[in-house]
Amino acid sequence: MKNSITNQKIGQLNPELLNNLLKRYSNESKITKWDMGASSSSDISVQVQKGKAKQLKGSQRNSMTLRVWNKYNQVGITSTSDLTSEGINKAMRGAIKASNFGNVKESPEFSPMAKNELEAVNSNNSNPHTINELLSILKNAEKQLIDTHKSIDSVPYNGLNESYMERIYINSEGANRHMKLSQSSIYLYAKAEEENKKPRSAGGIRIHSNLEELDIESCIKETSDKLISHLNYKSIETNKYLICFTPDAFLQLISAFSSMFNARSIIDGISLMKKDSIGEQISVSNLNISDEGLHPENVGAFSFDGEGTPTQNIKLVTNGILTNLLHSEATARKFGAKPTGHAGLGAKVSVSPDWLVVSKSESETDKDKNLSVKNTLKEYILIDELSAIHSGVKASQGSFSLPFDGWIVKNGKKISIDAATVAGDILEVLNNIVKIENEQIVTHQGISPYVWVENVSITGEA
Amino acid sequence: MTNSLLTKENENLLFHTFDETLRPQIEELLSLGKSAGADLVEVFLEKSDNISLLAEQDYISNVSPSFGIGAGIRVFLGKKDGFVSTNDLSTAGLLFALNQALGMLGLVSGSKNGNRFDGLSDLKDFGTNKNDWLKQSPDLDESTHKLIDATKSLADKNKNLQVRRASYSRNWQEVLVAASDGVFARDIRLHQTVGINVIAQQGENRSSSARRLGSSGNPDDLRNWEIEKSACELNDSAQKMLYAGYVEAGQMPVVLANKFGGVIFHEACGHLLETTQLERGTSPFHDCIDKQIAHKAVSAVDEGLSNHAFGSLSMDDEGMEPQNTLLIENGILKKFLSDRAGSLRTGHPRTGSGRRQNFSFAAASRMRNTYIKQGNFSPDELIKSVDDGLYCKSMGGGSVGPTGQFNFSVEEGYLIKNGRLDKPVKGATLIGEAKEILPRISMCANDLDLAAGFCGSVSGSVNVTVGQPHIKVDSITVGGR
Repeated sequence: MKNSITNQKIGQLNPELLNNLLKRYSNESKITKWDMGASSSSDISVQVQKGKAKQLKGSQRNSMTLRVWNKYNQVGITSTSDLTSEGINKAMRGAIKASNFGNVKESPEFSPMAKNELEAVNSNNSNPHTINELLSILKNAEKQLIDTHKSIDSVPYNGLNESYMERIYINSEGANRHMKLSQSSIYLYAKAEEENKKPRSAGGIRIHSNLEELDIESCIKETSDKLISHLNYKSIETNKYLICFTPDAFLQLISAFSSMFNARSIIDGISLMKKDSIGEQISVSNLNISDEGLHPENVGAFSFDGEGTPTQNIKLVTNGILTNLLHSEATARKFGAKPTGHAGLGAKVSVSPDWLVVSKSESETDKDKNLSVKNTLKEYILIDELSAIHSGVKASQGSFSLPFDGWIVKNGKKISIDAATVAGDILEVLNNIVKIENEQIVTHQGISPYVWVENVSITGEA
Repeated sequence: MTNSLLTKENENLLFHTFDETLRPQIEELLSLGKSAGADLVEVFLEKSDNISLLAEQDYISNVSPSFGIGAGIRVFLGKKDGFVSTNDLSTAGLLFALNQALGMLGLVSGSKNGNRFDGLSDLKDFGTNKNDWLKQSPDLDESTHKLIDATKSLADKNKNLQVRRASYSRNWQEVLVAASDGVFARDIRLHQTVGINVIAQQGENRSSSARRLGSSGNPDDLRNWEIEKSACELNDSAQKMLYAGYVEAGQMPVVLANKFGGVIFHEACGHLLETTQLERGTSPFHDCIDKQIAHKAVSAVDEGLSNHAFGSLSMDDEGMEPQNTLLIENGILKKFLSDRAGSLRTGHPRTGSGRRQNFSFAAASRMRNTYIKQGNFSPDELIKSVDDGLYCKSMGGGSVGPTGQFNFSVEEGYLIKNGRLDKPVKGATLIGEAKEILPRISMCANDLDLAAGFCGSVSGSVNVTVGQPHIKVDSITVGGR
């Protein structure tokens, strides 16, 4: 047996060989309990500039995280991208060494659901394309976008990518998960400039499991429409405004505060919620939020998480009430719940959402049912995209202060806002929602309708 | 198939020092690329040995060692390039990567219609005196004890510190760069960071505060960490911000503290002086060499030379020694930061600034230690010059848009009233545009200091230092409530 777990098609994993190597090294090290997550990816991507190739990239990558339990039930892990027999052996030794520092009071266990049946997701794998095919598609997209308006002078940030990924989870009790998927994405970020005005920019992104079905036309149209709408801009006054969040912006905001739904964050004391918050009303009573990793539109879905637990759809907020949390094996044990399929793999296991879906509860009514992004005549601020989320959000305190792209809308007429920030408290925002529109819109990061919030602080430069 | 450049299993690359013995295999790759018609072929080999530790409250909650190997192969033809990364370092894996990179540019390996390769130069070994750095760094036992000491020290400061965390990461990297123009260079890098953060809570009031320290090339860095000093400073900040009110939004003069205050210059100006931005046509300074772009009080440099600074390097990721690059002198733009591709495409000479997070990224022009030079004022003189404004003692992160719009969060801020520091305030964000703000930096104090940070951009996350003395910005938009 040769000592690589990649088979002849470079970049693809060989689960059987990997399992055998781990059994051998764990036996030699007298480790009876271990688990392992491995992933492999191969992708190609292109960038263009003014009709020419700018950068062409490819990669083949493998990595593995190995977790062992020593005789004192302390857990240690090691990660490696060296998937040779020697690399795996070294990882085993590293994990055993790390286990000496494991906190026995907080040791994770195997997920009780690591052998449960999996839901079938995303079997629509793409046929590989050549770099020249990608290049041709992106060059055309760049040209089409620039041709939509005379002021659009370039698309400085752009990319088209095709990826193939696989993931494995194996444990010493016989759990054996393996899944492959493909993903393609395009992003276009264009710049426009008119005389005596500041340069303006806007972008769009699309993701699909199959390059053939990637909706490039709508990405071009969205980017162009947005950018053209930003050409005429003005500063606005600092004040409290009626706000309408686009589906993208509202999902960005909810994602930034997803520690509210995260059992790990609650245990660590860095969430706005507490251990006994389940059952509390945290928003207006017609808001529903769920995490739906299995949603057919979630093209990046894996059918199991880092601990091998099946991916599940979880209702987090129902009629404004916090109903469930996202769990790993360890947090579920502490809360007397079941793992929800949102775990990573580690000595201390992280928890994160997959695909947030915001919807309106049918049984409850809006405070201002006449608001609609299509025909409202009132003055309001339409927030399209939030920036600097990593620095402008204090998730443990609930506060945020974020620059945004958007428009001031009056009598149905939109004027782009030069530069402004929106600031507030997430729980106040959730409780000041005055309208959740009916239509749910699919974005690359989840699903949400337009959501209206009153009395929100905006800082402008007028 | 072995996962190594070398054919014998017991000579696996991961355990093998990068040295002259790899010359034949690398020359063969470069030769194949050149003969296929490439103008230039570059091979970047990397192995890494990292540790990441976390202490929470009074326990170690995470010990995560990681090892890595990988190669990045880049092929240039005219102004175009193809880049392929892989962590399959078998001969087959590397040939696959080379052929893929060549294919991207329409070249075919083995066609032998291309250019001659004259061989690599003598190995320039910047790592000769660094081979023991890994052994000299603290082991797991010593590192974990130090972190527990830190969280315990925080516990002693105040009972309202509900969350106490200390983290440590040690990143060791050995790299070899070889290119068909003869470049053949090796280096060893050691970067260490310690971070501490707390959440203070009293009733319904909460505040969070964090600090990070970092160094390069100093195995004793964690040992020398002054825990008590860091814990006192962090607790002081958390307590002051616990009852802080929200800042009122508006336009106002601002005094930015030294050290991490330099993030504003890094984000708002530094990125726009990278040739990466010139290539995209997004830098408002593209035609401003020898023109006034900032107040005459502002001179700024980017260098890779300061001893143990987090952004210092012996060579960049293209094998070039770093420089002390004067970016702005008395407000006049003097130079851009350039890498190999940037130089090829924009004509600006290389500055030893070609950097990448690891083998999976192509190098790009990136900052190293970037700072505004100090002036002649004392910090007090800057505060005294403001009637009604904001003092930003500690900055959070920030970002810059494609055309120079920037924003930064203020972690610890104080109002300035009649030339004196007043109440603490939270929730402030500084918003502006590089071209408009640089001319408004009117005063620089005499207390230059540097701070470690990570910068994310086209070639991944790289270690950098930001810095400045206390500076005064005459007017800037402050976002608040």
